[in-house]
Amino acid sequence: MRKGMTLAVAGLAAWIAAGTVAHAKDIVWARDGDIDSLDPQRATSTLSRQLWYQIYDSLLEFDDSGKVVPNLARSWTVSDGGKTVTFKLHDGIKCADGTPFNADDVVFTARRALDDEHPSLTKTSWGPIEKVEKVDDLTVRFDLSRPFAAFVPFMADQFTGMICDSMKDEDGFGTTAAVGTGPWRFKSWTKGSEIVLERNPHYHNYGRPVSNDGPPKADRLIVRTMPEGQTRLAGLQTGQISIAVPPIENVRDVRSNDSLKLYVARRTGQNMFLEFAISRPPFNDERARKAVAEAINVPVALKLVFGDLVQRERCPISRGVLGNDEDFCAKYDPHYNPADAKKLLSDMGYGPDNPMHIVMMTWVGDARGKLLQVFQNMLSQVGIKAEIQVMDIGTLNARVKQENDTKSGPGTLDHDARVSAVHDVAKYLLSHAVHVPIYTPGWLWLYAANDDLKGFKIGPFNRPLFNDAHFE
Amino acid sequence: MLKYLVKRIAVALFTVWVTTVAVSMLIHVVPGDPVRIMYAQSQGTTPQQLEQIRHRLGLDRPLVVQYGMYVNRLVHGDWGTTIRGEQPVLGLLLGRFPNTLLLAASSLLIAAVIGLTTGFIAAYRRNTWVDTSTMVGAIVGASLPQFWLGLILLFFFVVQLQWFPVAGSGWRNLVLPALTLGLSNAAIIARLTRSSMVDVFSQDFMRTAWSKGLPKALVLFRHALRAGLVPVVTMMGMQFTYMMGGAIVVENVFSWNGVGRLAIQAITQRDYPVIQGFILMFAVIVATVSVVLDLLYAWLDPRVRYG
Repeated sequence: MRKGMTLAVAGLAAWIAAGTVAHAKDIVWARDGDIDSLDPQRATSTLSRQLWYQIYDSLLEFDDSGKVVPNLARSWTVSDGGKTVTFKLHDGIKCADGTPFNADDVVFTARRALDDEHPSLTKTSWGPIEKVEKVDDLTVRFDLSRPFAAFVPFMADQFTGMICDSMKDEDGFGTTAAVGTGPWRFKSWTKGSEIVLERNPHYHNYGRPVSNDGPPKADRLIVRTMPEGQTRLAGLQTGQISIAVPPIENVRDVRSNDSLKLYVARRTGQNMFLEFAISRPPFNDERARKAVAEAINVPVALKLVFGDLVQRERCPISRGVLGNDEDFCAKYDPHYNPADAKKLLSDMGYGPDNPMHIVMMTWVGDARGKLLQVFQNMLSQVGIKAEIQVMDIGTLNARVKQENDTKSGPGTLDHDARVSAVHDVAKYLLSHAVHVPIYTPGWLWLYAANDDLKGFKIGPFNRPLFNDAHFE
Repeated sequence: MLKYLVKRIAVALFTVWVTTVAVSMLIHVVPGDPVRIMYAQSQGTTPQQLEQIRHRLGLDRPLVVQYGMYVNRLVHGDWGTTIRGEQPVLGLLLGRFPNTLLLAASSLLIAAVIGLTTGFIAAYRRNTWVDTSTMVGAIVGASLPQFWLGLILLFFFVVQLQWFPVAGSGWRNLVLPALTLGLSNAAIIARLTRSSMVDVFSQDFMRTAWSKGLPKALVLFRHALRAGLVPVVTMMGMQFTYMMGGAIVVENVFSWNGVGRLAIQAITQRDYPVIQGFILMFAVIVATVSVVLDLLYAWLDPRVRYG
């Protein structure tokens, strides 16, 4: 009985001590959801990718302009007509656990991703890789069955974060363990609650667009899951949270609060657009798609819903990605023209007594539902009755997948030919109103931080950089 | 009494068994190919991977075999892995279970102390200003949306007074969510206790007890309260199971890491192994609470024991 009581008391004490107490030099980052996995080959969500970026480095990086630059690899060469890519690694790189990082770790990561039995969720994005070979300790060669232009930039993606091979026999990798060469070292993950990272003392920055090349300035980075926006805001106001995803409806409060600062990510690679179920009526008819595209006044709707938080997008491909040319796309993007929209609908046999009925779908959050309400009103002006359905992202993706057919064609490594091909596709999609670009960025692009947190930066493709972050 | 207990446990086990059958078939209720829907968000999943997953889940086998495989995995502690992130489901549920249990138990304690006390006093002081004001308070309490009450408490105690942290899992983080849930449920318990006690006070055995000249405390707490508690205990049992299913709104407001949030997240992400695990765990909780309630009835009312 006494032993039972002792255990009970010990249990209570352990529970009371539970939860990480943030210290003065800790950065507490609050987000609305948790990661799916610590393993960069086992998930795809933005929340996961942003966290992996703190733990892992990739062979290559993106600079502030979105250009691919060296990182763990100090150089790379493409040979054999694009079928061989060879990476030369920096000497002296160390993993967060102190073990050396070399070609073995690259081969381990790549082979793990391409494994037949249990491949990475993004295996197809790695390209048609036939073989990954260690040439020497600091050289790795990838042999592809055909040229694949997306391979090199993909080596700068978080999905190709390099995993240290000291994790080879670790059962808990992805759940209770993670070792990379990134600025932060994994400490713990309480699922649904918080992830604790500590400064990686072995870290050296080779390619990230920050000024501090050594370990991060803060002691720890604590990533908390706080689903309710008002609670995150309360945490910011009391100083218990250093940086958070703010509720979009409270952005004005954040801006008017002298102790808070709003960061808006640019060049995120995300864009929001309208796409249609083109295999069935009414949108198998180009006139119906054009009527919708011409009925909505996008700049006015964006101003009403988002103010200056987003930018008008004209291209099917995001800013910062090869082939994006706003001026080119603007020539083919259907413009606001309600009179022509009405005429197109009339030609199709629709009219005041016989309006066209459509369903607009989006997923919850970030004021997307509000934007559709504004579009709904604009569409009603030309005689289109639109029903709005706001659902979770999983349902939306499943519904969209049912409607879509994925096609791919031969690629090319020639820069000009690639840009030309992208332009041809953009021209077709826009002029036939298959794709109606709306705005960029799309999600998780706002950050509210305490004003005394200095040095925080958002890199291209919405990568939060805490290397320089510290308190003043 | 033993026969009564065995019967109740048998019913509980039957309930859990029926749930395992329903849960194992859940995946087939979804229109279309369940594997494709589950992996709709994994853009790079190849057809071969989908086939491997289908085979791993046993979805290419007859339904009876699938059920057998499912039960076999369950008894070996394998409740599957999450679709997003491939985490063990049982570990995820068990990791959150203590938090949910703690929140539910604390809330119920607050609700019971406040609800039983005020309800009993209101019944004892029936038709006085005490009764009226207590019941008005109970109606207000039962009408307040938990989301609103939670945010008000958050802004007052966290932002203004800064007495409690905004998030975490220690005891200081438990106070506000437990209070939010407890106050809402206390209002319901108070109303039910009052009506039950008013009914008990007018019964013949109470007149007998008073006429025998028994001490007031003995009459009120041993004779009256015990008899009046049966419907209240039923309600408290229901409230407890509801809270064990996850008080989603309160968990969200206070970032409390309970099973409710996990379940909602799984539903929105179509993560079927987690949904299956949650339903099964919830069924076990409901069955267990039902058995405990049956035992409590038997203790409170001898007619149940020997009936």
